[in-house]
Amino acid sequence: MGIPLIMVRAGLCQKEEDAVSVANTAESVDLAPAMHIVEEMSPVTSGDIIPLLQRIQEAYGYLPKDVVLRVCDETDLPASRVFGVATFYSQFSLRPQGRHLVRCCKGTACHVRGGQRVMDTLERTLNVTDGETTSDMAFSLETVACLGTCFLAPVVTVDDTYYGQVTPDRLRKVLAQYE
Amino acid sequence: MAETTLGGAEALESFRREAQDAEMAFRARVLLCMTGCRSMGSMELAETFRTKLDAAGLSDEVEIVDAGCHGQCVLAPHVVVEPHGFLYGGVRPEDVDEIIETSLRQGKPVERLCQSVDGEPVSTVDEAPFYKGQQRLVLANCGKIDPTRIEDAIATGGYEALAKALAEMEPESVVSEVKDAGLRGRGGAGFPTGLKWELARRSSGEEKFLICNADEGDPGAFMDRALLEGVPHQVIEGMIIAAYAMGASKGFVYVRAEYPIAVEHVAIALKQARKRGLLGENILGSGFDFDIELRMGAGAFVCGEETALIASLEGDRGMPTARPPYPVESGYQGKPTSINNVETFANVPAIVLNGKDWYRGFGTEGSPGTKIFALAGRVNNTGLVEAPMGATLREMIYDVGGGIPNNRPFKAAQLGGPSGGCLPMKYLDLPIDYDSLKEAGAIMGSGGLIVMDESTCMVNIARYFLEFTQDESCGKCPPCRVGTRHMLDILDRISNGEGKMEDLEELERLAEHIQDASLCGLGQSAPNPVLTTLRYFRDEYIEHIQLGHCRASVCEGLVSAPCSHACPAQVNVPQYVGMVATGQLNAAVDVIRRRNPFVSVCGRVCDHPCQTRCRRADLDDPVAIRALKRYAADNATGLSQTVGPPASGTSEVAIVGSGPAGLSAAYFLALMGRRTVVFEKQPVAGGMLALGIPEYRLPKEALQRDIDFILRHGVELRTDATVESVEELKEKGYRAVFLATGAQEGRAMGIEGEELEGVEESLEYLRARGLGKEPKTGEQVVVIGGGNAAIDAARSAIRLGAAKVQILYRRTREEMPAYDEEIEEALNEGCELHELLAPNRVVGEDGKVTGIEMTRMELGEPDDSGRRRPVPIEGSEFVVECDMILPAIGQRASIEAASGLEITSWKTVKFDPVTLATSDIGVFSGGDVNNGGSTVIEAIADGQRAAVAIDRHLGGAGLLPPDVSMSIYRASDEELENATVQTPEPLLPVEERLDGFREVAFAFHPEGACAEASRCLRCDLEKVRS
Repeated sequence: MGIPLIMVRAGLCQKEEDAVSVANTAESVDLAPAMHIVEEMSPVTSGDIIPLLQRIQEAYGYLPKDVVLRVCDETDLPASRVFGVATFYSQFSLRPQGRHLVRCCKGTACHVRGGQRVMDTLERTLNVTDGETTSDMAFSLETVACLGTCFLAPVVTVDDTYYGQVTPDRLRKVLAQYE
Repeated sequence: MAETTLGGAEALESFRREAQDAEMAFRARVLLCMTGCRSMGSMELAETFRTKLDAAGLSDEVEIVDAGCHGQCVLAPHVVVEPHGFLYGGVRPEDVDEIIETSLRQGKPVERLCQSVDGEPVSTVDEAPFYKGQQRLVLANCGKIDPTRIEDAIATGGYEALAKALAEMEPESVVSEVKDAGLRGRGGAGFPTGLKWELARRSSGEEKFLICNADEGDPGAFMDRALLEGVPHQVIEGMIIAAYAMGASKGFVYVRAEYPIAVEHVAIALKQARKRGLLGENILGSGFDFDIELRMGAGAFVCGEETALIASLEGDRGMPTARPPYPVESGYQGKPTSINNVETFANVPAIVLNGKDWYRGFGTEGSPGTKIFALAGRVNNTGLVEAPMGATLREMIYDVGGGIPNNRPFKAAQLGGPSGGCLPMKYLDLPIDYDSLKEAGAIMGSGGLIVMDESTCMVNIARYFLEFTQDESCGKCPPCRVGTRHMLDILDRISNGEGKMEDLEELERLAEHIQDASLCGLGQSAPNPVLTTLRYFRDEYIEHIQLGHCRASVCEGLVSAPCSHACPAQVNVPQYVGMVATGQLNAAVDVIRRRNPFVSVCGRVCDHPCQTRCRRADLDDPVAIRALKRYAADNATGLSQTVGPPASGTSEVAIVGSGPAGLSAAYFLALMGRRTVVFEKQPVAGGMLALGIPEYRLPKEALQRDIDFILRHGVELRTDATVESVEELKEKGYRAVFLATGAQEGRAMGIEGEELEGVEESLEYLRARGLGKEPKTGEQVVVIGGGNAAIDAARSAIRLGAAKVQILYRRTREEMPAYDEEIEEALNEGCELHELLAPNRVVGEDGKVTGIEMTRMELGEPDDSGRRRPVPIEGSEFVVECDMILPAIGQRASIEAASGLEITSWKTVKFDPVTLATSDIGVFSGGDVNNGGSTVIEAIADGQRAAVAIDRHLGGAGLLPPDVSMSIYRASDEELENATVQTPEPLLPVEERLDGFREVAFAFHPEGACAEASRCLRCDLEKVRS
């Protein structure tokens, strides 16, 4: 655990789990999509780090460490800076995501209308906590700052589908529809 | 239309005319929200409309507009049919045929799809209260045009202001127009927009930047999303004008990635504007160059802070930097940069087009114009509301918002998101603008307006916001990073019932430091929600700390099921409801009696706080818990079964008063093995239950069943036994005394003529009837007051032969403290209610009442409770003729026996809220004598608490009996989903009621009880189940 903790202390990663993912090297992924993105965005400057990472994540579903390191080489961007950005913003994930992304809104309207109970049910039903993926890789669970659909509160989205005014009971049924 | 560049104002005008002509080709338009309403199926709906219009051969006459958000999100999917303006909500594809036939062919509304207000369908947008109360300047076109078509934008006046600015105005005059219009930044802090542009303009440097902050991160605010999705060209036009004014050559729209539709629509709009020569080089042939790049934020609340946003745009972690230098001097890449909010830009075109004087015609002196609020939370019409600055919360929540679901009382409004504050009832009539909100401790923020009712816990909401800011703190400066963590830890403790009173001062101390020492606005404002709740709702914090009680039944560490937690006596409601559902009535009664011996009484007259807090109410109707208790009490076969063996030995505890508080204390003490003597000065036991509540609500037999049950546990009752003083009992050797003497006397009106014959205080009147006398009743009876005693007196009088009974109340029905169902039945039985009348003097002849002079009142300014204070209308006095007056304007605690104890200025006994101990060791007090009149279940709870405290005082453990049986019954998901309607309790027809005091309500039939009990969601099992 030496390396990850140093990274956390150095401020390269905000969370220890992220540091562990960065330190973990056993990945083999296709580099071609990333190289294609770099080429399209070329010349890549430091101002482009966020759009660059957004496109890589869109292509891979997450930010595979080897891909990001290779992109750093290719673009001459310091890896420390790129990982610093990748671990700062909640949009980026350094770990593979489940087949379905379940997002539970933690906006105020949702909270006032029982959002915490909905999140509790999700965590218990899926047996994961915020930011984790189920062991069968079916679902990743995250909370999200207000989705801006307060009229549907409390809201849960599964991939791109919105489920409004959910109750713990309805939620269990919704999840059962996905595999 | 040809895809050409618009070379100048004239080309734009001719493009506009062409676009308008194309619109005119349609005789009708169907506006569908394709943004927010997508989540409720508006895309399928649009498809169905297109297919069916095609099939009906109407597609050349009727245009389907894929529009943006129309604001009334509660109606999603929202449909408007023009030209009539018919407004439909919750429309399904199967409704399309009827809309085509009725609205598009015959030009009539489909009433069943209209929103109903006060039971009447509202068929058009113009008639809808939601729109009537608004001033839609910025949102004028939102929801009316297709945001993906620049033709629609231009046809409705888009880019006209830009053309005017470029052709007729110098940049400086644009700046001064906006400055003089008084436009203030809509993103939160309210900095004057024109001034910001001026500063940026004056800063030296060739290259300047303009940024549109669309990183709308405040939870509960979604107006920027709606504007970008619904009228992206309006925002872009505002940006180009701003760029021209300040001299920027490049702009950014920094939008949240969580808003995919907004990203898509802005991208389309930018492309279209560029193609038409409205962006890029030589805009509209003016020689002015400007272009805009779209950037997606990657999810960090702190990026709403301008220096953090710039860091993010530069490809860094979004951490703020110290100001000065301000971005207007040194911003993006060290160049002068103006950052404005989406809604600010959306205001600009109208200001440039119509001028500053027009704009100042809206809003207040210090904050001209309008503000868009995202109305959400506990309010009927959730959605986007645009109101002039200076509108009040009451107008927005009640007039536009349609009030609070289930008519629950308003508790607080949260404005300004995590940086804002919670305002209580007394600010309902505060004119809202930047300055007034700041004074009250909140901020305008981005305009999130979350309505909270009594089901929101203020400690929990403070904790919620702090958890949010704690989580979003970027970590750069310690006051914010560490300080908010400490505050959150304290709030966690308090929510779990482990807080200390010192925590409250500690929170305030930390808050002050964080406000003073944090680097950016996030930290500086993070303590606001905690500070405002501490300022306005301190009682709730204290309850959590001292009583482990969360009055909203929210805090997880304290609450398993909200109904049980809301019950002052903590009856295990879901358990016994489950037992009723499975027919185990004896077990159900046993569960209730472990916390409340008055099962027959409370099944009839309890004000059921459990039911008020039932979670089922959020779905449809609350479970009829009280009626289920009544059913169990009336039908259980083992009603005489005791809960424990009778207490034996000598009596060490004396209880004064045999009302619900006194008898409950005796009962629970008996269950703890202590024998008690209950002294009652009246000839019958039961206190107000026997002598206050009329038999048509609570028959004598039902009360007697509960009293008998209590006495079976070894309680000695002495009636006709007056206790002169507590001292007397101590001298007799009692080691502890519980004073539960109630509040037996009514208050006098304090007006001339009160001594005349025919004026009888209502409690006296009810007591006479309760003692079996036939109180003399007049022909024409007037009852003064609005509480339960007033209604009881009125309904009794009509049963005792009064020809006419009028209830006169100084406020309105809405403010009456009496239970609404009681008022309703009084009216059904023929009593009249006259509102806004206050008594002046009693009029009489020969020593007898002939009438009462009343003054008409009107509702004036609200008092601290938020209720509008009644104010007399001068010269409005008139006489109501009558021969009997029953004043019912309040009770007085009966403190005669409390001599030697400390008394409050309210003339009630002073007591410790946790133990009910008085100033004299070994003497406890509870029930109405402590508060001058409260509910039955609160009195029972006091008795329970006193028993625990007294047992401990005498060396016992003070343990209440544990539950012995358990129900885990819960109906299936399907059954729960289908049982949407509460089963009504059967009532005696009105014509059979009035010749006596027969009980009005009946118990459920077995099927009804089972069905109703099966509606329970079993919140208590939730954690166990999943």
